[in-house]
Amino acid sequence: MTWIAGTALMLLASLVQVTWAPKLTVLGAFPNLVLVIVVAVAWTKGQRPSLTFACIGGLLLDLTSPGPLGPHALALLAGAYLTGFWVRNVDPAGWVQPVIATAVSTAVYSAVLVGLDDLLNLPVPPPALAVELAVAAAAYNCLLVLPALLASRPVKREAPA
Amino acid sequence: MERRTQARPTGLFLTLCAAMLLLAMVSQQPWAAGPRSYAKGAIAPLETAMMTASDRIGSFTAVFGDNANLRAQNQRLQEQNAALQRQIAELQAAGQDNVALRQALSFQQSYGHSMVAAEVIGRGPDGFSLTVEVDRGTADGVRPGMVVVSGAGLVGRVLEAAPHAAIVQTLADPQSRVNGYLAKSGVEGTVTGGSGDLQMQLNPRFGAAPAAGDWVLTSGVGGGYPRGLVIAKVASVFYNDASTVDRATLSWVNDPASLTVVLVVTDFTAS
Repeated sequence: MTWIAGTALMLLASLVQVTWAPKLTVLGAFPNLVLVIVVAVAWTKGQRPSLTFACIGGLLLDLTSPGPLGPHALALLAGAYLTGFWVRNVDPAGWVQPVIATAVSTAVYSAVLVGLDDLLNLPVPPPALAVELAVAAAAYNCLLVLPALLASRPVKREAPA
Repeated sequence: MERRTQARPTGLFLTLCAAMLLLAMVSQQPWAAGPRSYAKGAIAPLETAMMTASDRIGSFTAVFGDNANLRAQNQRLQEQNAALQRQIAELQAAGQDNVALRQALSFQQSYGHSMVAAEVIGRGPDGFSLTVEVDRGTADGVRPGMVVVSGAGLVGRVLEAAPHAAIVQTLADPQSRVNGYLAKSGVEGTVTGGSGDLQMQLNPRFGAAPAAGDWVLTSGVGGGYPRGLVIAKVASVFYNDASTVDRATLSWVNDPASLTVVLVVTDFTAS
């Protein structure tokens, strides 16, 4: 996958996330497609590309949300780094590990996002509500990561060894 | 060798983190608000195109089951129902309010305000910020702090405005706070957002009994919103003898997931 294709993919994912995905809201959470793609890229293509994808996707999400530019990118970078670290230390063939990694990455993403907002003196949700939203988002993202992995794996086979 | 290859992503990670943290701190400065708004406005046309595509796909798939007509009829009936509910709430409130006081405060009822119609082109990227993006901005007279309503009632407030787009914080946003009162009982309180229904912390008043079915309107306390805008209907009330406040769950008159057109009140500025 070229960087142009990757950027186009992240642009499409971020646009879908802010236009279509909120219609699928359950318990206050809806699919975080950008995070799911970043996790899938980290799992199938490695940590470096996923960090770049996280940066691009995060900046695009920052452009659609209130507040300064950077918090979503930073939160996604944390999720990408954690997933890359995870995949290096487990057997990547199964389906349980990516699901757990996605849940943990979503939790880290949420914690970084809320923590950074607090650091920047921006309003933050009450802790109990933040945890509730993070858990719901983690469950949602776990459902989506397996199809995303299946979609990204053929790309990996085409890549030169 | 293995250690070197593993260290490289860490270096890249730390560099990108430092860059994003720096960007966040710089873009938060007041002098960066202009360029930031322009940058955010640049993506608005793409969101508009995506929403249009969404609508077209929805219309295309609806052809198979003749859903389009039913959906339009349902939408029309829902709008009529919402308008009627708003009228009932306003009539209930009118009976409670002092008309002379309203005149003294030069307050105009909601539809006496000057408004700009705007189409919803996007929503917040996660559950932590339940915002909507609209296709009107500073070029259309929209400014941060302006109140946003729909035909059914209060939607929220403009947080940021670019030349041709603006981000609106909805009442469902976890950080949203609105002072309101119950139309029948007159009890006041604070309405907050969250993951599910709106919540209201009620300040009990002797002789007043809040009940399900009562309408909640903006009280105007705090100066953030004009008095008398319909917020929600009380779904249930929870009394707590051990607490100085009671709590109510509200059914918001707007559904953030299905909002398509909103009105920005351009002649009211939060004090």
